Amino acid sequence: MAETAIMYDSSKCTACKGCQVACKQWNQLPSPLSSELFEYTESFQSPRDLSSNTWLIINFSEEDKEIGIDWNFMRNSCFHCTDAACEMACPVGAISHKDNGAVVIDQDKCIGCRYCVASCPFDVPRWDEAKNKTFKCWQCFDRTSAGREPACVSTCPTDALQFGDRAEMLGLARERVSELKAAGFNKAEIYGENELGGLHTIVVAHRGLEAHGLIRDPKIGLTEFWQFLKPLGAIGAGATVLGLGFSYFMARDYKRGEYSYDEATDTVSVKEVE
Amino acid sequence: MRYIQRHSAFARGLHWIHTIACLSLFATGLILFIPSVAAAVGTATVQGARMVHRVMAVIFIVAPIASMIISPKGFVHLWKSLFFKWDADDKEFMKKFFPYLLFGAKQHMPPQKINKSGQGAVDGVLIFASVFIALTGVVLWWPEFFGGPTSGLFQWSLALHSGLMILIGIIMLAHIYLGAGIFQPYKGSGKLMFGNGRVTESDALYHWGHWAKDELKKGDNVIVE
Repeated sequence: MAETAIMYDSSKCTACKGCQVACKQWNQLPSPLSSELFEYTESFQSPRDLSSNTWLIINFSEEDKEIGIDWNFMRNSCFHCTDAACEMACPVGAISHKDNGAVVIDQDKCIGCRYCVASCPFDVPRWDEAKNKTFKCWQCFDRTSAGREPACVSTCPTDALQFGDRAEMLGLARERVSELKAAGFNKAEIYGENELGGLHTIVVAHRGLEAHGLIRDPKIGLTEFWQFLKPLGAIGAGATVLGLGFSYFMARDYKRGEYSYDEATDTVSVKEVE
Repeated sequence: MRYIQRHSAFARGLHWIHTIACLSLFATGLILFIPSVAAAVGTATVQGARMVHRVMAVIFIVAPIASMIISPKGFVHLWKSLFFKWDADDKEFMKKFFPYLLFGAKQHMPPQKINKSGQGAVDGVLIFASVFIALTGVVLWWPEFFGGPTSGLFQWSLALHSGLMILIGIIMLAHIYLGAGIFQPYKGSGKLMFGNGRVTESDALYHWGHWAKDELKKGDNVIVE
């Protein structure tokens, strides 16, 4: 299977939230009933954040201008990184890459340790306390493996979301950035081409990465460090066992004398043992 | 034959409890540390191991704290026996220890106090590492109280917990090798903590010359059989 990607073009997105609904519908994710996810914040964003039952939202970054507002939308969901910190951190191998680059969680294997939650630089995976498992977008792998588009892409009315061969998506993104720059969006740029080894969600951020809340040059950070501890630990333990084995071999015939102490004369005498 | 009662039943009991807790923590921790092991044993076993890990963690933390409360004098005694100013014999012991350990114990080792200088240094590192592995374990168990799993504290705790497990694991390998008497010159040492806590006059003089002489002179803990 060829490497595929979703391309999100923020300049075409109207934040209709059709993608959010399609995601919930296809993946059978119930809407949250708690009011905290819908707390009034003067923003049109709804719900406020991702959750174990909400794997995709359109983030609103409303910027006040002299006249009106700049609507800087951003698709907030898993980026399906090539160098996926969540996959590295998962202690049970429940997170893996599919051939097309999608990063998926095997719920049968997930133990709810939340190491993936801790390691993701984009704060995407969400833990469900009741189920004690972690959930996130899986790029509708059931659909894509059958030759269909992810549910979110299939419903987008403005073609802000497209899906296909990753190289092709990158080509479209580059073309679109050129068009946007020609139209006066000088800060327009592509996100996902090289970040974390290449993402499988490519973004055209028409007002620049920061305006859309994207992290410039994201890092895996500590996850990589403690993964490095594993081979280091194996080498350390191996060297210790070898050293102790050598010590055992060298001392195997050692004969210790019989020590005794005479309190009266304060002398220690040693009788050699055959 | 003369023996010296080196460890009380209370100390040996605590050592038994901590040995079981430590080994269980290590075994269950390794399941979570090596993904291929977790994959081999299956999810149900991994979840069981996590539960055992937590139960044993409580024992690992509570047992020494309880022992400090039950026997504060014993705790002070232990502390003083581990952390003391090194004299010439202690320094010489450390200088000679690795050639002694690795090259067939040909070295003549200087007499030692109740604990050898190297033993005190390693136990100091072990206590420090144990306190930190316990603290980081608490953060990993209840991240909600420490800013959640996305907080820097949780991520650092995860890295430190793993690093400390390696450090403690390596120290434990050496501790078992020497303490259980696998190393030929230390033969019989296993009985000290896992047996009746007695050491023969000869063994005591060989390992802890200064301490053995003091005890044999005082006679309070000397048993003649």
